[in-house]
Amino acid sequence: MQMSSSRPNNRSLSRAIRYLGRYPRVALAAIGALLIAAAAQLSVPQLIQRIIDNIISSATQASILNLPAEFREMAATQLGLDLSGIQAEVDRAPGIIITAGLIVIALAAARGIFAFAENYLAQTLSQNIAFELRNDLFAKIQRLSFSYHDKNQTGQLMIRATDDVERLRLFIGQGLIMALEAFILLTGTMIFLFITNWRLTLVVIPILPLAIGLFFVFGSIAQPLFVEVQKRLSQVNTTLQENLAGIKVVRAFAREPEERGRFRVNIDELLEQRVRIARVFSFLFPFIFMIANLGQAAILYFGGRQIIGGTLTLGEWQKFSLYVVYLFLPLAQLGFIISLMAQASASAERIFEILDARNDVENKPGAVELQTVQGEIEFRDVSFRYFAGADPVLADVSFTAQPGQTVALLGSTGSGKTTIINLIPRFYDVSQGQVLLDGQDVRDVTLESLRRNIGIVLQETTLFSGTIRDNIAFGRPEATDEEVVAAAQAAAAHEFITSFPQGYNTPVGERGSTLSGGQKQRIAIARALLLNPQILILDDSTSSVDLRTEYHIQKALDKLMRGRTSIVIAQRISTVLNADQILVLDKGRIVAQGVHADLLENSAVYAEIYYSQLEEDVTVGDEEQLVLAEELAEV
Amino acid sequence: MFGRQDMLFAVEERKAKKVSTTLRRLWGYFNHYTWVLLLVAVFVISGTYMQVVIPDLTGQVVDCYLGPFAARSMIGEMTPPAGFDVAAASGSAAAAFSNCWYTEPNLMATSDELLQGMGRLLLIIVAIYIISSIVTGIQFYLMSWVGSHVLRDLQAQVFEHVHRLSLGYFSKNEAGDIMSRFTNDTDTLQQVFGFGLVNVVQGALLIVWIVYTMMSKSIPYSLVSLITLPLMFIATRWFSGQARKAFRRARKEIGAVNADLQESIAAVREVQAFSREEENIEQFRVSNAANRDANIKAQAYTTALAPTLEALGYVSLAIVAGVGGLIILSGEPLMGTTISIGLIVTFIGYTQQFNRPVQQISVLWTNIQSAIAGAERIFNLLDERPDIVDKPEAIAMPSIQGHVCLEDVHAEYNTGEPVLRGINIEAKPGETIAIVGPTGAGKTTIINLLPRFWDVSRGRVLIDGYDVRDIQARALRRQMGIVLQDTFLFSDTVMNNIRYGKPDASDEEVIAAAKLARADEFITKLADGYDTVLGERGSGLSQGQRQLLAIARVILTDPRILILDEATSSVDTRTERQIQTALDKLLDGRTSFVIAHRLSTIRNADQVLFLKAGEVVEQGTHEELLALQGHYYDLYMSQFRYQGEGEGSNGAVRPRQPNPTIQPILS
Repeated sequence: MQMSSSRPNNRSLSRAIRYLGRYPRVALAAIGALLIAAAAQLSVPQLIQRIIDNIISSATQASILNLPAEFREMAATQLGLDLSGIQAEVDRAPGIIITAGLIVIALAAARGIFAFAENYLAQTLSQNIAFELRNDLFAKIQRLSFSYHDKNQTGQLMIRATDDVERLRLFIGQGLIMALEAFILLTGTMIFLFITNWRLTLVVIPILPLAIGLFFVFGSIAQPLFVEVQKRLSQVNTTLQENLAGIKVVRAFAREPEERGRFRVNIDELLEQRVRIARVFSFLFPFIFMIANLGQAAILYFGGRQIIGGTLTLGEWQKFSLYVVYLFLPLAQLGFIISLMAQASASAERIFEILDARNDVENKPGAVELQTVQGEIEFRDVSFRYFAGADPVLADVSFTAQPGQTVALLGSTGSGKTTIINLIPRFYDVSQGQVLLDGQDVRDVTLESLRRNIGIVLQETTLFSGTIRDNIAFGRPEATDEEVVAAAQAAAAHEFITSFPQGYNTPVGERGSTLSGGQKQRIAIARALLLNPQILILDDSTSSVDLRTEYHIQKALDKLMRGRTSIVIAQRISTVLNADQILVLDKGRIVAQGVHADLLENSAVYAEIYYSQLEEDVTVGDEEQLVLAEELAEV
Repeated sequence: MFGRQDMLFAVEERKAKKVSTTLRRLWGYFNHYTWVLLLVAVFVISGTYMQVVIPDLTGQVVDCYLGPFAARSMIGEMTPPAGFDVAAASGSAAAAFSNCWYTEPNLMATSDELLQGMGRLLLIIVAIYIISSIVTGIQFYLMSWVGSHVLRDLQAQVFEHVHRLSLGYFSKNEAGDIMSRFTNDTDTLQQVFGFGLVNVVQGALLIVWIVYTMMSKSIPYSLVSLITLPLMFIATRWFSGQARKAFRRARKEIGAVNADLQESIAAVREVQAFSREEENIEQFRVSNAANRDANIKAQAYTTALAPTLEALGYVSLAIVAGVGGLIILSGEPLMGTTISIGLIVTFIGYTQQFNRPVQQISVLWTNIQSAIAGAERIFNLLDERPDIVDKPEAIAMPSIQGHVCLEDVHAEYNTGEPVLRGINIEAKPGETIAIVGPTGAGKTTIINLLPRFWDVSRGRVLIDGYDVRDIQARALRRQMGIVLQDTFLFSDTVMNNIRYGKPDASDEEVIAAAKLARADEFITKLADGYDTVLGERGSGLSQGQRQLLAIARVILTDPRILILDEATSSVDTRTERQIQTALDKLLDGRTSFVIAHRLSTIRNADQVLFLKAGEVVEQGTHEELLALQGHYYDLYMSQFRYQGEGEGSNGAVRPRQPNPTIQPILS
């Protein structure tokens, strides 16, 4: 999967953000909590100012009361107060301070509760969006046709559904709310600062763009450094992983010194990058903190000037210094938000690349349910290429399999055998021509109904976690236990399944390694049998099994093919001999067609393939066979 | 720097068993950097000092310049009647505000003098800010530098040690376990060495220093102001404890989601073939929803922490300002200390500094514990004694002729559980020895003894008369070729994979070897031919193709002794034939030990050993062993019996009898 070449644009990101619309109430509640939390936060310095100013004025007034009696009156009138008024105010002061203090505590509680609510709701929101995105991705990936999966590896798709979704989630859950919070806090603070004292505010303002600029610089410097560190880290891990998994090979070829050298280079490169990051960090962060602190110093000085000039109170001055903290707090997060956003943007792009991927094989509008199937398969002038302009993998292939017939496909690797069997269940669509089932183009029927009528047994058997029963009932989860057992018996699998302590309920995941290739294959046969398909597609090679098992499997396969239209990639003499039709393929074309006897006489290609491919070497079998032999010898 | 709080909580936690020993050993790695660490310590202390001194100086701005002025401006602007001592009056008023130690408060100073004085004090503050930034920067850099270097040293040591350990260790320990020690543990260590430790130390120092400074100014006022500090610690500990627990659950759920994804994507073709898309999508929804819920829960604790601490910060703000104000208003010094406005400002500055270190200490503390536990696990690995080491006087193996002798060889992986008992084998140069027998009979052990992957417990293994323990393992292995059942390929080009055993081989030599191994044909069909980079562990190649590459790799090294574990896994018949041809070529003229699965190999062998329970029970050629009518005969005949059951026997000894009219090739 190639990385999207274009620079991450924010269209994907805003599209992801629009997922918020799916949870409007949670989103609104989060914003509401944010506003309340911010309001509480912004009120605290106001009250602190109140406390401090109150202390100053009350203390001053108290000192007036302490003046020699003859001056008291005069001082009071100069301040425009009478003595009893001053006395009353001094008496009231502790009450005011206590009330203000209690309000601050109440505000602190409100701030705590609503900030928590805000963050919690944001997390809930982001987890829900991640949930939706992952579901959408999963559903899309499950439905995308083979051609898509040919081009994309499991690991890459996994990363998109996990890491990329997580990065996007982080931005939505933290970055977005932080940005909003920062914006509100910045605006609110600026407004309060201006109201309190616009001249002092002007002192702080030039620092803002400076800090913001620095953070942008930081973001653009740090981002690639981190990407690089990840790359080098994974290189270190790969080398180690290989040396552990391949330790015998390393030893056998006495390559330890070279591997050590390779690893040393890896970790040195990683070290270098880490130190480089440390260098950037150790410059940038202190520098940014320094700027914030110099802002504080400026407030101290210019605020102090104003106090001396009489245009500012001490309380206001302290309030300023608290607000300036609010100003730099969101700024400190800005760098983080920016880097979150850059990552999220790239991730969103990758996610939507999948969600927007065109599915090559889909139900066409008005596709009909496939009714009872007779099993006649016809290829009419079928050509297939994997993508436009590529060499055709199949060219003008035409043949008809009558209901119940067995068609054997022969040919070397790359001759087009697999492509033919892939076209019948519409894993791919033909490039030209038609594939007809009972005279109906397979593209005119629904995929589900088509595939339910086709049983498939491939050489590489993939089983799923879950029990053996689940695996046999994979295509028909609603099958009864009796049906499952019957299918297993027909597939010669019943015997070994019941030999497990848990029988049909044996979990395959755990058994995965102990289920032999032959056992897996028989489960796959049972799985296909249970569908009772009218059409059967199979690869008749039996892999890694001893002769006894091979015999069982072959019998099971014969049973499976009986009475069904079967298209078989033939690896076995008996299959070819029993086939109603043999198609010999070469470079995507049918070069010979007929039954064994005719072909052997008339087709040189067939004769050659026959001798070179179908003859199996005599094998002793494997370990299992030897053990078996010993057991038998002891009986 | 701590934006990803949840990441810090998400670290898996563990406790070390021998903390002090582990710490002492860890210290050993830092030993080389003592001077740097001393410098860091100096910087930490001076940086902390500056953090402590600044709020104090800010308070002095208030007490020495602004407070007196504020008082004077209220009183001093009055027109003093005759005889009234302004200085004394405002002095007594100002006393309530003053806690000035920076300078002698001059109540009669003019505005300009005050401004100048304050300006000088602020210049000092600015200077401290600047120096403190520089100190912090250098300190951070030095610590990261040391941390990264220590980590690198540790990683290099682990890696080298892994290569010294005998293979026996790997049979007992999962590669995944070692891998996780390496990646997870070093990750935690990186975090802790890089900034964690220093942050915690500095944070603790800062708290202690601030508390001390506050106490020295006024014990009762400090005690009241510090009420929230223990609450902060308690809240942090509780929330982070809960968060870690919740994350542990969440990790399990994400594991389930990943497993679901992995399976359904890898097997998407089967899913579609059986029309199981909808069921799978539904099933995924369920595990995905469980993951979401577990994560929301875990995040709830994480997100609660910061607001709680912030709220506590405001509470202490209210307490400091409110209580301080009430004391000032009472007009009495508090237990001998004057509480001034400046002191309130200073204390506000101090209490607002607690938030960050408290959070860092609580969060990182657990991570430091995990890191120590991680270090302990790494040390355990390093303490694993290598079983196989070259003797100091070991000689370089001269060119091997290929005469191999096993004399009364016993071997055991675990003491007291012999895997081989009294094996005697002699292979003359160029002979092929086929080893057959049931699983667990000791076949693999025999072939592990030859390149000294494992040592005998009794008896000896001689190659050209040299005991393998007397020669350098490297020199020995260089002259041996080993093809294992599971072919391991490196994520590198095909060319380099073949070249693995002979790094200096030219491209032509590599291609020649590939041609001999019959691998050339498929390689040239790969997208980039020999330059194709193989995916993880050679993915993209079939089992058979990988075996061909392994054979080419060995052909290139032109070994004198060949060790071969014939693959049992599936290859199509054509590849099988190619492998066979390649192997025949490889075996030719070399002393070979083969764990045989193919009849043709056994037939062509000079000796066949039937191994059972660690002993050679039958020995001879294929024909001789058949004539014995013993174990080998039974094994052989059992094939035949099944054959008979399958297709109807015509009584021939050959297990499988293709149609006689079409089999001119096979004979």
